[in-house]
Amino acid sequence: MKVNTWFGVLELDSNGKTLSSEVFPKDIRELALRSLSLRESRQNLPPEGFDLKTAALECGFTESLSEYYSLLHKVTLETVKLQVSQALTPDQRIIQAVEALDDINETTNSLSERLFEWYGGYFPESGLSGEELAVFISRYGSRENLPPEDPHYLKAKNSMGAKLEAADEVLLKGLAESVCSLYERRKQIEAYIESSMEILAPNLALLAGPMLGARLISIAGSLEKLAAFPSSTIQVIGASKALFKHLRSRAPSPKHGIIYSHPLINTSPWWVRGKVARALAAKLSLAARIDFYSAKRNPSLENELEEKIRKIRAENPRPPQKRQEIRAKPKKKRRK
Amino acid sequence: MPEIRQLSEGIFEVTKDKKQLSTLNLDPGKVVYGEKLISVEGDEYRTWDPRRSKLGAMVLKKFDIPLKRNSKVLYLGAASGTTVSHVSDIVSEGAVYSVEFAPRSMRDFIGLASRRKNIFPILADAGKPDSYAHIVEPVDVIFQDVAQPNQAEIAARNAVRFLKKDGYLLLSIKARSIDTAASPKEIFKEEVKKLEQAFEPGFEVLTARELMPYHEDHLGVMARLKK
Repeated sequence: MKVNTWFGVLELDSNGKTLSSEVFPKDIRELALRSLSLRESRQNLPPEGFDLKTAALECGFTESLSEYYSLLHKVTLETVKLQVSQALTPDQRIIQAVEALDDINETTNSLSERLFEWYGGYFPESGLSGEELAVFISRYGSRENLPPEDPHYLKAKNSMGAKLEAADEVLLKGLAESVCSLYERRKQIEAYIESSMEILAPNLALLAGPMLGARLISIAGSLEKLAAFPSSTIQVIGASKALFKHLRSRAPSPKHGIIYSHPLINTSPWWVRGKVARALAAKLSLAARIDFYSAKRNPSLENELEEKIRKIRAENPRPPQKRQEIRAKPKKKRRK
Repeated sequence: MPEIRQLSEGIFEVTKDKKQLSTLNLDPGKVVYGEKLISVEGDEYRTWDPRRSKLGAMVLKKFDIPLKRNSKVLYLGAASGTTVSHVSDIVSEGAVYSVEFAPRSMRDFIGLASRRKNIFPILADAGKPDSYAHIVEPVDVIFQDVAQPNQAEIAARNAVRFLKKDGYLLLSIKARSIDTAASPKEIFKEEVKKLEQAFEPGFEVLTARELMPYHEDHLGVMARLKK
């Protein structure tokens, strides 16, 4: 019987005794690469309970047990290092970008609010907020610096705001510049996600939109995992709190998770949103599978989805008022 | 002067201000996850937080921990190595084959594994023991903390391949990873039954205790293969 081990190929008799052996050279990198390929092939496995270290001594691979363990330690370390370096796939990069985007959004929002509050004391009439305000402050600082041709000039001249001292102006301008550059970074990351999604998951990007598609991959953990999810899971990704509440108690099941942000759902009337979400999730799940296994564009998905949504909307033109009451009754009976 | 009491081989209770579970640091001066180091007469003890380690909780729940200085251990679900580091302390002359599935956790684990000669890291799915059969020798103890719905099956597959006839299985069952809705007590009963009956030769469950108050909805199990 032929047996593959990390240190060589052994020929065993029926009692598990080593008849002959071909041991590999003691090159850590080579041994690690062999170990990796054995991990994949899983052929000629040692029999259950086979004592590798004794066999290694018998066939002369190592002189002593301590040498055996010391080599094995180096080889296993080298192997996992190789594996870890290969683990950063394109979908992992997209996930990092999505998470960075969320962090940036959170930070810019709170900094923008701070800027609004702070600068509001000096020029409350500006009517600006968010990115516009940040750009305004970083360009002019105090409202006294506005040129006459600026549309805010009159408002600034008659403002009830306090006078902005030089020291405060430096501080506010600096903060505004930071916020501006965060807004820049946000656009840059969004562009990166869009172009990466176009390459990695064109169908998902087309159907869900690149940002929603990227978020789905991010929550699933990888495109492979997303492709393995049933569509009912994709439908409620991001609604885990509501889902578990439903599973544990009598709470209603969630109709949609983050796919709610898809225009097909959030522009639909409320009474068909559940149906639309189900149809959309079904197609998204197909899209993720096509993307993971072939990455070829499949334009028919989009048409099928649109057709389906049109049908759902046509069949349910009005909210189902009466049917809800009828449904409520048998539920009460079941409780007894 | 701290007071030291041995709870089992390589596992100590060090009393300095308060009682603390500890192991003898195999890698003196180095801290793994922010635990405390306590030096007593030239020996350095590393405190072991039972709230961050199922095995640590099992020690305090009076499990008869079968780890010896020269034990060979197969550790399934190494994560970033918090508990593995203590097992490595205990089996100072043995070996800890540490299987972890997530590359992200393995990245953190590599630093620890490279400093401790008795740790052999393996990046693989614990549910597929065939993928590391060319590396792992027969072991005295399998410790498993994988939080997978099929954990009983995973334990069985690994035990059949790697556990010595007189070896032990230490297992932590997380109810919430098997079924989010069912009651933990029911789940535990089911899982213990699976361990006893679902494969040949089956496990003989020696101890099964909940790990409260250290871990909620977790059952610690110690078992060996049926004769």
